[in-house]
Amino acid sequence: MASFVPTSADTLEDQRLYTRARLTEVACLDCLATVGVKKNSEHHTSIQWTAEARAHCPELSRRANGRDSHYACPRMIASIEAAVREDRIPIGAEDGY
Amino acid sequence: MSDTRYLDRGTPPERFARGWHCLGLATAFGDGRPHAVEAFGGKLVVWQDSKGEINVLDGYCRHMGGDLTQGTVKGDEIACPFHDWRWGGDGKCKAIPYARRVPLRARTQKYPVVVRNGQVLIWHDVEGSAPDLDILPPVLPGIGTDEYTDWTWEVLDVPTAHCREIIDNVVDMAHFFYIHFAFPTNFRNVFEGHMATQFMESTGRPDVDGAGYGDEGLMLKSEASYFGPSYMVNWIHVDYKGFETEVVLINCHVPTSDNSFKLQYGVCVKKPEGVDDATAEYIGKRYSETFKEGFEQDVAIWLNKAPVQNPLLCEEDGPVYQLRRWYEQFYVDRADVTAEMTDRFEFEVDTTKANEFWQEEVAENLRKKAEEESRPADEAAAASSSAMTNG
Repeated sequence: MASFVPTSADTLEDQRLYTRARLTEVACLDCLATVGVKKNSEHHTSIQWTAEARAHCPELSRRANGRDSHYACPRMIASIEAAVREDRIPIGAEDGY
Repeated sequence: MSDTRYLDRGTPPERFARGWHCLGLATAFGDGRPHAVEAFGGKLVVWQDSKGEINVLDGYCRHMGGDLTQGTVKGDEIACPFHDWRWGGDGKCKAIPYARRVPLRARTQKYPVVVRNGQVLIWHDVEGSAPDLDILPPVLPGIGTDEYTDWTWEVLDVPTAHCREIIDNVVDMAHFFYIHFAFPTNFRNVFEGHMATQFMESTGRPDVDGAGYGDEGLMLKSEASYFGPSYMVNWIHVDYKGFETEVVLINCHVPTSDNSFKLQYGVCVKKPEGVDDATAEYIGKRYSETFKEGFEQDVAIWLNKAPVQNPLLCEEDGPVYQLRRWYEQFYVDRADVTAEMTDRFEFEVDTTKANEFWQEEVAENLRKKAEEESRPADEAAAASSSAMTNG
């Protein structure tokens, strides 16, 4: 059962837009991880991992649960930057999402 | 169809979050007396027994509902002020001094306790699960030793807001400028499992006589992680006019109803080299006051705002929806936690445009301020020169 319950169906559509819309799949150039990426601007990046992708990433797996597990995987960042250079990720937001 | 945006207030959850909740510093409960703590829509009784263990039970006696927080610690048990029923930390009634035997069903609600970093944490789960020790907040190295000052500890009452309001701060880049008077120049979030983290670098605004984050000379590098639904550790590297300090801020809360909570925070600082203990403690207290102002700025907003289930975001905003998706995991049964709630998610806010606009705004404010400051001086000068001619 959901906990914080919306009172309008439009809210569910907002939830979908902000969390799932416009994600582009980017495969890591070094491991088997594939993530969903969105770039609303040059400096903005949104990265959605799955449990499967996370398990593939040796860099994040190596870090266990310490404070350094918060940092992005530099290989994935490089892979995303490469995808941007190759115009595979559209840059720009659509009405804030 | 109207194109007016509808504000969906949503309905708050009927339960309180699953997870570790901090009740305060262990030293606050060590006097051999029962203490009352408002939590989870009721009242808890907290006491330390002869072995030094801290125990937490529901505050009301299962016999006739006496208030155990007004009782007495007798031996290791809490004795009810009404009929002297004795309750142990394991939740069982150990003795009824006037009775032949204790009813077998005399068990009350107990809360598993762990003391970590000098703080009392209790496990709360409406499903009654065993405490999950794997997701306790981390042991903070050096804290509790001579390397750091003692914890300060403060409580702020937030009587008319759901505690999700304070969680939303994790992703709220822009409020640091408007509410806390700082420029957030770098802002990132990572959510994964039971943790939600915010990285921020900020400098104070020179146009506001800002206390807290807003002090002009204050540069912060902050890493703040929620470990579960209510307990955040914030590691802050502070550079105040070249004087560097390592500060650890605990920001935690206990929900008291579906529309109120108690916000608690504690500060300790790594004692700077060449500084005596008294001065170091003073520095810790000053930081505590600084954060107090920050939290009060937040509370003032929460007490007046509407709850929003469908926030409308712009490109410069942080990932509110993903944060709330993460937070949802603590409000559903374990079996209903979905992969999306706990999967790793990373977000870097683009702060460049926002900071350009803010720099302009601040420059304009400084210009106006300078203008205002020079005006009365001119008037005063004019007044005094006219007085001289008249005299």
